[in-house]
Amino acid sequence: MNPIEELRAAKPAHLGDRPVDERTRAAELARAMSEPRRPAERRRRAVRPVWGLGLTGAAAAAVTAAAVVMSGTGTVPEPYEAQHVVTGRPATEAPAVRLSARDVLLAAAEKAGRQAEGSGDYWHTVTVGRSLYVAEQGGYQVMAQDRNEGWTPSATGGEQVSISRSLGARPATEADRTSWEQAGSPSEVRVKVPGKGGEGKYGLIPLSMSPGKVRADRSPLVDGDKVFWLGRNVTMKELRDLPGEPGKLKKWLMASYEGHGTESTSEKMSGDAWLFQVSVGLIMDMPVTPEVRGAAFRMLADLDDVKVAQHVTDAEGRRGTAVSVEERYERGGVSENRLIFDEVTGKALAHEYVVVEPGDMQEGFEPGTVWSSTVLLGAGWTDDRP
Amino acid sequence: MADDAHRFTGMYDECRQRVWAYVVSRAGRQVADEVVSETFAIAWRRLEDVPEPALPWLLGVARNVLRDNLRAEIHREALAAELRAWTDGDVADEVTERMGVLRALATLSEDDREILILVAWHGLSPTEAARVVGCSAAAYRVRLHRARKRLREAMEAGGEPSTSPRRTGNAPVLPSMSHVRNLSEEWS
Repeated sequence: MNPIEELRAAKPAHLGDRPVDERTRAAELARAMSEPRRPAERRRRAVRPVWGLGLTGAAAAAVTAAAVVMSGTGTVPEPYEAQHVVTGRPATEAPAVRLSARDVLLAAAEKAGRQAEGSGDYWHTVTVGRSLYVAEQGGYQVMAQDRNEGWTPSATGGEQVSISRSLGARPATEADRTSWEQAGSPSEVRVKVPGKGGEGKYGLIPLSMSPGKVRADRSPLVDGDKVFWLGRNVTMKELRDLPGEPGKLKKWLMASYEGHGTESTSEKMSGDAWLFQVSVGLIMDMPVTPEVRGAAFRMLADLDDVKVAQHVTDAEGRRGTAVSVEERYERGGVSENRLIFDEVTGKALAHEYVVVEPGDMQEGFEPGTVWSSTVLLGAGWTDDRP
Repeated sequence: MADDAHRFTGMYDECRQRVWAYVVSRAGRQVADEVVSETFAIAWRRLEDVPEPALPWLLGVARNVLRDNLRAEIHREALAAELRAWTDGDVADEVTERMGVLRALATLSEDDREILILVAWHGLSPTEAARVVGCSAAAYRVRLHRARKRLREAMEAGGEPSTSPRRTGNAPVLPSMSHVRNLSEEWS
């Protein structure tokens, strides 16, 4: 008999494929996902702000393979319809006005294209990520918050640096605060995260209600020169040399499109939806030239089924205008993926996911609830070393 | 950012016990949970780097965690205890043959044991296993061939060391691993 076959047959039973016990699973997942994600990895998320969100990424897990619903025709988008407005809670106070999405985006493109541009040794960004969770006990909602600051060198061969800190979770609303207090104001709240086995199954992770330690993470640039993911890993030079004409920019970006989503190869995604995702990342906080940021807005203006809502407020209370697409998730539910920007300057303020139809991990959330957001507090060049 | 955590939990559920089994077979149960926990913490931080299928990458990371974090004497004791666990216990007739293989396995060097186990117990192809230990697929096949030969010799010798003493208690700790330093980094 082949010794390998004998060996295979002799495998000790305890090394077999038995399920991990639930407590170990919860603890290990919690430990892993409590750490910030490392910046500048091989495939940076286009929609993710530059720096990892740490725990907030776990909320994002509520969403699974996303198929964005978009039509395939080349028509000009319909004027925005007020009844489709999805409001962040308590994000939008004013009703959206009827306005051509295209006009708003073209105006933003003008403004973005005229932004002043600095220079420096590092591209520096500051973001705060927030994600909404449901407490296992009590069923109230808590918002996890992480602050992330990042430096990306303009020269090759350097390090990307991120400094991140959990700001502590907080009850989402006053009613949630009351429920939390009734539960004895626990300093740590166990919240539901997506679990194994599809809809209705969840795991648990503990969220601290007080701020956490500051974590610094330094890592050499991937391949010594890759700084961002833009459909593929790109160098600072490639990013700076992107075409400033919308058609050429689209062609450049679409060269990396392979028919699936930005998060997983198993998830199909239309070209337009993919382009929206990648463009949001580009507009939000990458060090592209003003011309390219303007071109990206023009590119969005030409996409079908892109909606615009004015008088939207981000998680920091800043007024802006949202450009969005809807995403329908395999595990259930529909969310709006939106970029909030300042019409006056053409600068990005925030990237959010908003419940349109509750489902899966957003099952208990009211339509209009912002269940995940990243606000951009600052982005620019600096010579100061991190 | 829509489904990082979903992908991660899916990967965890698919691979966790297999990573655990690998670590146990390398270093024993006492340290396994800690090493597995650290391995998945790294996998989360570097999720964008994790290829599909994830298992060989995860085993490579676990291997580095073992190498970097485990003190030699702890490792030796834990592994010795694990190997005893494989071969102690029931010696009823139907299992003696099994015991013979395991005893023979326990006499081999750590290198040989790993080479054999990755294929026989962890279900990896030689190409995947080569990635875990950081050598070429061709080199792995050669090493597998030699390890298999030594296993057969050890089995024929009744579980006694077939060549020079390779008792686990004396085995050098994680020998010959320097050539796979930064394996996980190389994959990024």
